[in-house]
Amino acid sequence: MSSPIWLGLVSGIAFGFVIQRVGATNPDKMARAHLMIEGAIPRFMLLAVLLSAIGLLGLLASGTGRTLIIPTSLVATGVAGVLFGIGWGLCGYCPGTTWAAAGEGRMDAVFALLGGFAGTALFAQVHEILIPLLHAPTNLGQITLADWFGSDLAATVVLVAVFAASILGIGMLWERD
Amino acid sequence: MDNNQLSPPYWKWVPAAFALAGIIVFVFATFGPPASSSGFVAVLKGAIATVAPDYVEAKAHYRMSAGPGGWVFAFVLGMAIGGFIAARTFPAPVRDIPEIWENRFGSSRVKRYAAAFAGGFVILFASRLAGGCTLGLFISGSTQLAVSGLYFGVLIFVFAMLTARFVYGRAGKEGQ
Repeated sequence: MSSPIWLGLVSGIAFGFVIQRVGATNPDKMARAHLMIEGAIPRFMLLAVLLSAIGLLGLLASGTGRTLIIPTSLVATGVAGVLFGIGWGLCGYCPGTTWAAAGEGRMDAVFALLGGFAGTALFAQVHEILIPLLHAPTNLGQITLADWFGSDLAATVVLVAVFAASILGIGMLWERD
Repeated sequence: MDNNQLSPPYWKWVPAAFALAGIIVFVFATFGPPASSSGFVAVLKGAIATVAPDYVEAKAHYRMSAGPGGWVFAFVLGMAIGGFIAARTFPAPVRDIPEIWENRFGSSRVKRYAAAFAGGFVILFASRLAGGCTLGLFISGSTQLAVSGLYFGVLIFVFAMLTARFVYGRAGKEGQ
């Protein structure tokens, strides 16, 4: 889409600012979240999704906004999820937080960023081999909860209920806030 | 003013989630699903194209991705600027090695930077295989009710938690 470049820049600055302020760019806080010591970051992430889903429902109802559903491939999405989780648990950074954390001046984030470029380059090199091997055979297509629950509204209600329950669960199970 | 010294400097998660959701909905309204791992492809595509344009032209992953100068490129650049501005106006010092890592593995920069490089390598390789990352697949996807985003989200949280236990062991708990 030919969305103005300055909109991307402004959105990115606001996004980077907020995730720094809540502590998501701090790998110490991320590790403590994964170790079930601090619940703030995962609850922040889940609540942001819950609210965004409600907001997007309103946006689509008013006829604005553009969506793009990434296909679900049982094997490719699954293998990628496992690998991503291992990398995230090891370094405490996500692709998005590495940019903001490198901007903060964290040197380990700069190395995570460099590692990210190397990982991207390797994947781009083997794309033609891995996509037909891992992605295509178990690709279920662009499925959404709306396909399962009948409508966007019903599916959003289900998503909000599950995410709200998860936020409460983290509040109870993680050791302290 | 006195409260500033008593309360933790980080924002509370509830108002911060409202702020982030506002930004995400704004992005959906003005662009489409936000993404950040595609930003790595955009930067790399631009960098490699200056030295080996034929290679970029021949590889499907670069052909199908936006290059530098597009929205995603501006977004990740903005994230770095946002992180910079936020850190310069924030009371806590910026560390090169997280406290919890130092408690477990000591203050060797080489060890931490190597682990960060390896972690970054794996998360980006995996993101490109899945078609998105924490933001581009889990957050953007779940917001759009996509099963791919929810499936990916469950796996990344479970395996990050298992990995953190393996990496930090008991030291994670004792380091509090």
